Amino acid sequence: MSYHFGRGKSKWIPYLMLLPGLLFYFLIALGPSMATAVYSFTDATGIKGAPIRWIGLDNYREFLFMGRASVDNLAALQRTLIFCAAVTLIQFTMGLIVALLVNQKLRGTNIFRTLYFMPVILGVVIQGLMWSLFLYPLGGPAAKLLSLLGMRSEFLGGQPAEAFAWVIFIQIWANMGTTMMIFIAGLQTIPSEMYEAARIDGANSWQVFRNVTWPLLTPSVNTNLLLNIIGSLQAWQLFLVLVGYRNGTQVLGYLIYATGFGQTSGSVSSSFRQGYAAAASIILFLLVLVIGMSVQYILQRREARILG
Amino acid sequence: MSKKMFSFLSLLVAFAILLAACSSPAATGSQTEPAAAAGGDKVTLRVLVHQNPPMVAFMETFNQKFQEKHPNITVDMSVVNANDLSTVSQTRLSANDIDVLDIFGFANGAQPYMKMVDSPNWQQLIEAGLLMDLTGQDFLKNYDENAIKDAGSYNGKVYSINLGRVIYSGIYYNKQLFEENKIAVPTTWPELAAACETFKANNIPCMTAGGKDGWPIFVGAYGLIGAMYPDQAALVEGLWNGTIKWNDAKSLEMWTKMQVYARDMMEEGASGIAGDAAPGRFASGAVAMFPGGSWYAPAIEAAQPAFDWGYIPFPGSDTAADNQYWFGKYDQGWAIASNTPNKDASVLYLKEFSDPANYQAFVDAVGFIPTQPTAKLNTKIGADIAPFLGNFRVGYEQYWIAPKGAGQFANPWASYFKPFGTDDDPKVLADKVQADLQAGLDAVK
Repeated sequence: MSYHFGRGKSKWIPYLMLLPGLLFYFLIALGPSMATAVYSFTDATGIKGAPIRWIGLDNYREFLFMGRASVDNLAALQRTLIFCAAVTLIQFTMGLIVALLVNQKLRGTNIFRTLYFMPVILGVVIQGLMWSLFLYPLGGPAAKLLSLLGMRSEFLGGQPAEAFAWVIFIQIWANMGTTMMIFIAGLQTIPSEMYEAARIDGANSWQVFRNVTWPLLTPSVNTNLLLNIIGSLQAWQLFLVLVGYRNGTQVLGYLIYATGFGQTSGSVSSSFRQGYAAAASIILFLLVLVIGMSVQYILQRREARILG
Repeated sequence: MSKKMFSFLSLLVAFAILLAACSSPAATGSQTEPAAAAGGDKVTLRVLVHQNPPMVAFMETFNQKFQEKHPNITVDMSVVNANDLSTVSQTRLSANDIDVLDIFGFANGAQPYMKMVDSPNWQQLIEAGLLMDLTGQDFLKNYDENAIKDAGSYNGKVYSINLGRVIYSGIYYNKQLFEENKIAVPTTWPELAAACETFKANNIPCMTAGGKDGWPIFVGAYGLIGAMYPDQAALVEGLWNGTIKWNDAKSLEMWTKMQVYARDMMEEGASGIAGDAAPGRFASGAVAMFPGGSWYAPAIEAAQPAFDWGYIPFPGSDTAADNQYWFGKYDQGWAIASNTPNKDASVLYLKEFSDPANYQAFVDAVGFIPTQPTAKLNTKIGADIAPFLGNFRVGYEQYWIAPKGAGQFANPWASYFKPFGTDDDPKVLADKVQADLQAGLDAVK
């Protein structure tokens, strides 16, 4: 391939053109991330003008080892992993099934694609409001359905395990459309000749899926898995909108928010602890990094093995 | 295009993007207004209040009158949920995006017996220099000296004027339902329990609360804690120094009663009712009682003006004499951002609000117990509060700061019990709560 920008000084032009993007990345993404790492070693409150003291590893020690609070933090960490596993597994599987269904050449598939994708374009607050109304325990639609069976529930305000399960369900409902769209895009890149050849060879539907669709969907599978894993590890907004700060329901992302902005004690005078929240953020970042990198490594090897 | 021209254009684009990225939004927005604050120049006064429907309604009327009187000032009032007030205050103060802000009465100050505790957020804001020193302002004279000292001062300087005390240890009751079911107004715990049993037997839910917001469930039971431990400051000190434990015999009695409150007294589905909607549900006549703060009274009146209700201290003790206290806190106050470009307009706003006539209209609308000595307790709830007002005590949660390392159950919250939480054994829960607290006390030794 020839080099379009010539020689001498002009060869720097591509790098110069990259510069704004790089600077923007440093300012918007990398800068704040680095600042968070530094903050995690301080007692910063996040209040402009407040003194900031260097306290070394104290925030990490407190988060991981101090009293019962550290046990609660580790429980939140465990809950985050459960949330991630449940959301990824179900959202990925359902997204794939729905994509296969709406990728058929049948009348009305566009309507179903729109319907399945619609929750994605709603904001978290709207999603939360809709489900709060649906799950209203005093005569809401879900309560009425349950009453027909002679049962009742407090739904989001009741047992923490039930509230947690509802957040998993709503997270999947809210984001499955994205997973579906990525799979649809992947399905549409598979040449129809491949399917025709498989059918001529006598493959049944399952064999076509296993030996043609699934291997050729590898790039979409990888993208979806990574997006689902990282997205669910970092989730917190739905917890805020649907459940609030309740024992037995917090995931790490929400714990960070609640700690950083003084919403953990039930008192309106709670202190702001952004240094401590920054340490929790770094722990979450390391978790995402380790899981994300490991999954990416496995997926890349798989992709190389299948697609060469 | 020549290579030189291409290089030049690339550089230009790079610098333009760099400059756009580096420019501060604050430099282009409200920062242009400082010079316009005084005199007859146009001023937009940014005011922040927390969601409390009668207060918001009053403020809208007050703002309108204020603007008519001062046509050069436009009041831009934002309303946020009470849970979010501290977060929004902090971010908007840091961004120089607020002039006058609603701030709760100063509470949760660190006491000498507390170790390794963080300062409460109001103290953090003052220490960061974000709240204006109001010491010496004329309008302070309109307020009770003790209220200014207890709820708005720090290190000898005044940073907030507190607008009223509220009670959160009372129960609203539906007079008509009590009469129809021939139930006397309860003055002891056994009477309260018996009343609930009768109502439930007649298919009337006994109590409701705005459980969706979380805190109304446990705040409703703060009266129960108060009946057991009338000296709430001593309770907090006792918990810190170990002379009182959440699993001792007295506390166990409290937990046992809390379980009855959460499981048997509260109506099914209360966890889904929003805090703002609970007064309306009570006013609809569907439930017999509503444990809640005095600030709900105007909302109940607004929902059903003809509805006949009363307000009694939570009868948490078996002895009537122990159930004659009110527990509460200093509620809303006003503070001014120290960096406000609209200082004159902000001070003027507080001055006019503090005018005795305006203040009387405020307490009449909101139902606060006044902090201006000349103001009268004219409201309907005022008549019910007055007999026990001499027994007003600042409540537990205004003193309590949990030690670092304490677990998430280290609080006396009724919402731990089923159906709102997972616990159904008072003894097991009491041990768990004390263990969570003790872990924190041990960690900061």
